[in-house]
Amino acid sequence: MADPHLKPAAVEVPRDLANKSDKARLLRAIRMALEIESPAVRRNTQTFNRGRYLATAAIPDYDALKDQARRIKDKAIASLPELVQTLKNAIRSRGGHVFVASTAADACRYILDVCHWRAAKMVVKGKTITSEEIHLNHVLEADGIEVVETDLAEFILQVANEQPSHFIAPALHYSRERITALFKRKFKTDLPLDSGEALTRFTRERLRAKFLYADIGITGANLIAADTGTLMFVESEGNIRMASFLPPVHIAISGVEKIIPARSEMAPFLELLAASATGQSLAAYTSFLSPPLSDPAFALPGKPIKPREFHLVLIDNGRMRMREDPVFRETLNCIRCGACLNSCANFQTVGGHAFGGETYSGGIGGSWEAGTGKLENARFSELCTGCSRCVNQCPVRIDIPWLNENLADRLNRTVERTPLRNALGSVTGASMEDRSAPASKIFFGNYHYFAKWGARLKSIAHSIGVAKLAGLTSSSDGGGHAKPLRLAMERWVGLDRRRTLPQFANQTLVHAARKQAVGAGRPRGSKVVLFADVFTNYGLAQRGLATLEVLRALGADVVVSEAVPEGRAALSQGMIATAKNHARRATAELERYVSEGRDIVVVEPSSLAMFRRDLRYLLESKERFERFRARAFDPVEYVVKLLEKSSRKPKDVFDVSRSPVGQKLFFHAHCQQKTIGSAEPTEALLREVGFDVLTTNVECCGMAGSFGYKTEFYDLSMAVGADLFTQIIQQERSGGKRALIASGTSCTEQLQGGFARSVLHPIELLAAILRR
Amino acid sequence: MPDLATTFEENATQAAATVWRCERSPLAIRSAVERAAENARGGIVLSEAEFLAPQLLAALPGLGGVILRPEDEQLAKAGVGVTEAFAGVASTGSVCIALGRPLVGLTSLLMPMNIVLLASERIVERPRDLFDPGCLKGEGLKRNLIFITGPSATADMGPLVLGAHGPHRLLILLLE
Repeated sequence: MADPHLKPAAVEVPRDLANKSDKARLLRAIRMALEIESPAVRRNTQTFNRGRYLATAAIPDYDALKDQARRIKDKAIASLPELVQTLKNAIRSRGGHVFVASTAADACRYILDVCHWRAAKMVVKGKTITSEEIHLNHVLEADGIEVVETDLAEFILQVANEQPSHFIAPALHYSRERITALFKRKFKTDLPLDSGEALTRFTRERLRAKFLYADIGITGANLIAADTGTLMFVESEGNIRMASFLPPVHIAISGVEKIIPARSEMAPFLELLAASATGQSLAAYTSFLSPPLSDPAFALPGKPIKPREFHLVLIDNGRMRMREDPVFRETLNCIRCGACLNSCANFQTVGGHAFGGETYSGGIGGSWEAGTGKLENARFSELCTGCSRCVNQCPVRIDIPWLNENLADRLNRTVERTPLRNALGSVTGASMEDRSAPASKIFFGNYHYFAKWGARLKSIAHSIGVAKLAGLTSSSDGGGHAKPLRLAMERWVGLDRRRTLPQFANQTLVHAARKQAVGAGRPRGSKVVLFADVFTNYGLAQRGLATLEVLRALGADVVVSEAVPEGRAALSQGMIATAKNHARRATAELERYVSEGRDIVVVEPSSLAMFRRDLRYLLESKERFERFRARAFDPVEYVVKLLEKSSRKPKDVFDVSRSPVGQKLFFHAHCQQKTIGSAEPTEALLREVGFDVLTTNVECCGMAGSFGYKTEFYDLSMAVGADLFTQIIQQERSGGKRALIASGTSCTEQLQGGFARSVLHPIELLAAILRR
Repeated sequence: MPDLATTFEENATQAAATVWRCERSPLAIRSAVERAAENARGGIVLSEAEFLAPQLLAALPGLGGVILRPEDEQLAKAGVGVTEAFAGVASTGSVCIALGRPLVGLTSLLMPMNIVLLASERIVERPRDLFDPGCLKGEGLKRNLIFITGPSATADMGPLVLGAHGPHRLLILLLE
C-alpha cells in the first residue's frame, strides 16, 4: 500500500481530507492547502482581519458591547430548555411549526417529510453551515429533490463538491482564477468569465429562475429571540432574503444555542456581528423576521398560489451534552462570526480545509466538531498554537486556546501508554494522567527538564574548555547533515533538524544573578522579584541580567526567584494535569516574595501571559490567580511604571546615541504579549527614548513556542513566518537596514532563522543605552 | 459635530449607496425618481406608503413606466423598486424598512435598482436605537425589519462586486 504522505498534493481532493481523525490526513491537508489554497486564503482572511480592526475601533463602546453580548449568551445557555419552550409557544401562536431534532438524522427526516407533504421538487438554500453539519443536501438529493445552493460561495462549493473552509466565506480558498477555471470546466461554457462581475452575473442569472420557481426556501439563522420568535439573518447578497421571502414554505435550521431570551437583546449582536465578521459596520442586509410572514408568497403564472408556511428546525445534535460539559459549554457562546479564524496566523496561511474538519474550521472549529461528532474529529485543533490572538477578537469573549488545550488533553488520553512515553513521563516528572501523550508532547511539555540538563552540560563544557558537547550546543550545519543527536531527536520527539536549537546559557540567570547580588546592597525603591522563567534562565540569561541592570538603575530592589516551570510548556501540549503542577510550584516559589509586597517581572512573554491569563484555570481559586495576575509585569512595562512613579522622562535615563545597533528598529511583538497588552508600552517607550520604530502587523511569527520546532509543522511555521519576513524585507528595501528587536524567545529564533542576524530583546537595548 | 443627516449621508455613501437630498414635495420626489429611473428597463414598481404623508407620493403613480398593481411576473422583470424607509441609521448609513404594507419587501429586493425614500427626522444615531422602546414609538421591536446598507454585494467571486442577488444600485432620497 502506498505511503499516504507520498501522494502528490496537487491531486488531493479537499472532501477526502475533511475527516482528520488520523494525523496523516491532517498533514496531507496542510500540504494540499500550502500548495493550492494558501494565496487566496491569506488574501481574504487578512482583508477581513484588517477590516475588523477598523470596524471594531469605530464602535465607541466596543468592550462594553462585548460584555453585554456575553451576559446575554450566558443567561441564554443557562436557561436553554425553558427558552426552547418559550420559543415554541411564540412561533406556534402565529401558526408556525417548531421541531426540536435530537440528532442530525432526526432533523433531516423532518425536513424531508416537509418536502414530501408539500410535494417539493426543488429547494433553494441560503447559507447555513448547520445544514452542512447534518448533511442535509445529501439526504434531499438522495430522495430526488433538487437542492440549489444560492449563496455564491456555497454555489461554488456545490459545483466543486467541496466542504466549506470558513464559517462566513465558505469558499474563501478560491481565487477568481480558480473559480473561472472551475466554472468553464463544469458548465462547458465559452464565456470568458474572466472577472468577478462576469462570474457573479453568470451565477445570478442561473439562480434567479430557481428562486422564482422554488417550492421551499431553506435558511439558517444568526440568532433567534425566544419571546417573539424573531429570527436574525445577516447577509450581503440578498439570497437569504429571497429564500425566506419568495417560496411559500420557509424552513429555518438552527442549532439550539442560537436562541437568546428576547428580541430587545439582539441589539448588541447587530453591531458586533458584522464588524467582527467582515469588518463592515453592518452587512448589506440584516433582517429581523418573525415568520410566517403576512406578505403573500411569490407565484408566477402556472405556479399555484399557496399560503405561507414556516418551520423552525432546532438542532441539538450534541449541544445539550456540551452544555453539561464544564469546559465545552463555553463553545455554545459562539456566534460564528469567524473573527477567530481571520485573526489566526495558521488559519490565514492554510484555511479551513487544513485547519478544519467536515463542517467547522479554525480555532473554535475543533470544539464544534468534537461536540457535534467525535472527539477524534477535532484532531486538526492541534493547529491552534495557543498564540491567543483570537482571544481579544472574539465578540463574546470565548477563550479558544483554553478549549483547544482541553481538546488536546482529552485526545492525549485516548491513546495507550508506551514504554517510551512512560519512561519519558517518569523522568521528566509529568503527571501520571499525561503519560499517554505522544513523546514529542512530553518532551516539549517538560522542556524545563531538558533545558536544566542542557545548561548544566554546557556549563561543564564551558568550564573545562570543550566548545561543543555531544551536539547539545549546536544544531544542524545547515546542509542537512545533522548530528546524530539531532537525528535521534527528530526521530523520537519530532524536533525538526532544520531548526537551530535554542542555545543554553553558559551561566544560568539564577547563578549569574547570585554572583551579582553579593555585596551589591539593597536599594529602597520598588520591590521586585524577577521570575526566572525556563527560557530566560537556561537560555537567554542575558535578557534577565539586562532586566536586573535596568530595574536596579531605576532604583528598584530586585531579587531573582528560583527557576521553576510555570506551566506554559505543559499547557501548550494539552498536558493540563502537569501544567497545574507546574503552576502550583511556580506560585509557591513566588508566594514569599509576593507576601513581601514584591511585584513580579517576567521576561518571556508566554510565561508572563500565564500569570496574566492562563493561571485562572490552573490555580485552585480565582482569588489566588488574581493575587499573581495583578502583580505580574513585562520588564519594559515595569520600566514605564517606574519612570512614571519617579516622574522621570525616558530621555533622562536612556541615551539613544549609545545604541550599539543604531537608532532604526524593527520591533516584532510576541503574540501573547499583544494579547495581554504589554507590547504597546514597549513600542511607546522605544519611541520616546528617540528610536525610529517600525512594527509588523502580523498576528504571530509562526514559531509559536514549540509549534515551529516540530518536524510535522515546520513547513507551515515557515510559511506563516514568510509574512513577517516579507514585511521586514520590504521595509528595509525602501528605508535601509534596521536592528531586529523581539521580546519572545521563539520569535527571536524565527527571526534569527530567517535572517541569520542577531535579535535583541527591548530590555537588552535599554540596558545598553542607560546613562551612567 | 455634524448632524445626523450629514453623518448618514457620509456613511451611506461609504457603503456604496447614493444619497440625493430632496425637497419634501410631491413634484420634487417625482422629479428625482424620474431622473434616477430614466435609463432603467422593465418598469417602476412602487411600494405602499406607511410613514410618509400619502400626498407626498401622490405624483409618483403618474410617472411614465410605473406599473400599478403589478402581477408577480411583472415584478420579476421590473427595473426599479421604490420603497419607503421606516428609519435611517446615521452611524452605518443604513436604511431600515419595515415589512407590512404591500410590496415593501419585493421592491427592495427583486429589482436591479432600489430607490428608498427616507424622511430625515426618522434617522437615528446607531442601529441599537431601533431596539429602544422609546424610539419611533417602539415600532422597531414589533415589526419585521430589514436594515439595508448599500447595494447587495459579494466578494465570493474574487474582488468585491456590487450587485449580487439583490439590487445593484441603492439610491436614497433623503427628504428634508
